[in-house]
Amino acid sequence: MSRALRSAAPLPVTMRAGVSLKRYLGHFEFVLALVVVGALWHLVSVLVNNTTLVPSPLRVLRAWVSLWGEQLPTDIIASLVHLGLGYGLGITTGMVLALLAARFLFVEVIVDPIAEVLRPISAIAWIPIAILMFGIGRGVPIFLIFYAATFPIFINMLAGIKQVDPRLVQAAQMLGASRRMIVTHVVMPAALPLILAGARLSLGVAWMAMVAAELTGADSGLGWRIFWYQEFFAMDKVMAVILTIGVLGYIFDSLLRALQARITRWSPNGSETQR
Amino acid sequence: MTETQRRWLSLPVFGTILVFWELTVRQSGQLKLYPYPSGVIEAAIRTIGDGSLIAATSGSLYRVVVGFAIGGVLGIPLGLLMGSLQPVNRALGPIIDSLRSIAPIAWIPMALLWLGIRGNAALFIVAYAAFFPFVVNTIQAVRLIDRNLVNAARALGASRALVVRSVILPGSLPVILTGARISLAFAWGAIIAAELAMGIKVTAGGSGAVGLGQLMVSTLYIRRDVNGLVLYMIVVGIISLLIDLLMRRLQRNLTPWR
Repeated sequence: MSRALRSAAPLPVTMRAGVSLKRYLGHFEFVLALVVVGALWHLVSVLVNNTTLVPSPLRVLRAWVSLWGEQLPTDIIASLVHLGLGYGLGITTGMVLALLAARFLFVEVIVDPIAEVLRPISAIAWIPIAILMFGIGRGVPIFLIFYAATFPIFINMLAGIKQVDPRLVQAAQMLGASRRMIVTHVVMPAALPLILAGARLSLGVAWMAMVAAELTGADSGLGWRIFWYQEFFAMDKVMAVILTIGVLGYIFDSLLRALQARITRWSPNGSETQR
Repeated sequence: MTETQRRWLSLPVFGTILVFWELTVRQSGQLKLYPYPSGVIEAAIRTIGDGSLIAATSGSLYRVVVGFAIGGVLGIPLGLLMGSLQPVNRALGPIIDSLRSIAPIAWIPMALLWLGIRGNAALFIVAYAAFFPFVVNTIQAVRLIDRNLVNAARALGASRALVVRSVILPGSLPVILTGARISLAFAWGAIIAAELAMGIKVTAGGSGAVGLGQLMVSTLYIRRDVNGLVLYMIVVGIISLLIDLLMRRLQRNLTPWR
């Protein structure tokens, strides 16, 4: 058996070439697209010939590199502090509420309609009230991220717990499992795909809420820094910060997606979500 | 407990919360500082009466619809292209993904610079927000079409145009409509964010085109009316509920076979 596997491992040369060529092509298309987009951007910047209106990609790149030696690390840390506190609070609240609502009917009867009423009111609509409540500062982004992150995880986790096959629970009960054991060994693993999907949805909306809150009601963070540079009309730096926001958001989502895929590899509905 | 029983049960929950809220604020005696239910109703009557609420809401909605249309017109063809041609998808996929991760309102400074404060900047933000759900869902829609159906149609002698018209389009419509629903919800969130940011940051030079967001800012900083703020929040919530309802109904009517 193992010998057969070993002898099969080294691929014929032609096949290997085919595989690497294909992989190379995949990269090649992406690189080509990047070059084309960059060239178009550069062309527009040359045609407009106004470094404020359309900074060239090279200028933005230079600004981005130099920002690492200036405020960019501070801003990223400030944003991550907002995100960490708000998201942590939101996820915890959502999960605790979902657990309580799944366990106690009266909690569900009270919490569920409130969630249904609050959910359509996007975090962004809370910005003026949040500014009034907390003043310009850290409170606004943290509150907004918390608010935005709470609902997706709550809704998905509750749905996840409710869709657990009752036969599994009954089987465990019949085999003499305690209540605690059923929760930790049957219900939670079965609900895990939806919980993780909810956590990822929460992070997505939390990221958007963070940028919006920092733009309007904070005195630190990446979103705030955008307007700071705009005051000096340093548009190359504005673009550099905007691109940083995009890259960071992309990295976070990829990380969570990888985690989700890894943890719920066994699940057929690992990517299903309730919105 | 059945669904209807639960609906009825939520009424006393809300009733209790509202009464408790009203009484607490009245007890504290600081009616200027905290919002309270009867004050919100008063604010509703006042702002509907002088027409400012309706004008601002319709201004925002107008920009949402136009931005949504722009997002769809650009997003659906791109999604069809990326969904059916692998090389295009490999080339543009990462670019679309990273642009998608940029919160739309982060573009506000650039949009203001390019398009000015007279509403077009907000339009750009809305179109940007609406564009990506269209692209992503259209790609998904094309991928989900059963290859057997396409092959069967081809084998029965259908031309390429006929296959596109009567197999691929109806087959991908349900998922594209889901994308449209998400797009419209995103667009509504984005317009409020854009108008808020513009209202807060661009106080000089007049407010340009007025929407719900700018109304919120002036209520916050000039009139200092907390009840008004709560009212506008509720309006934002009601409209996103209505949008969702409308899009779901549209989806049911356009794709009854689902």
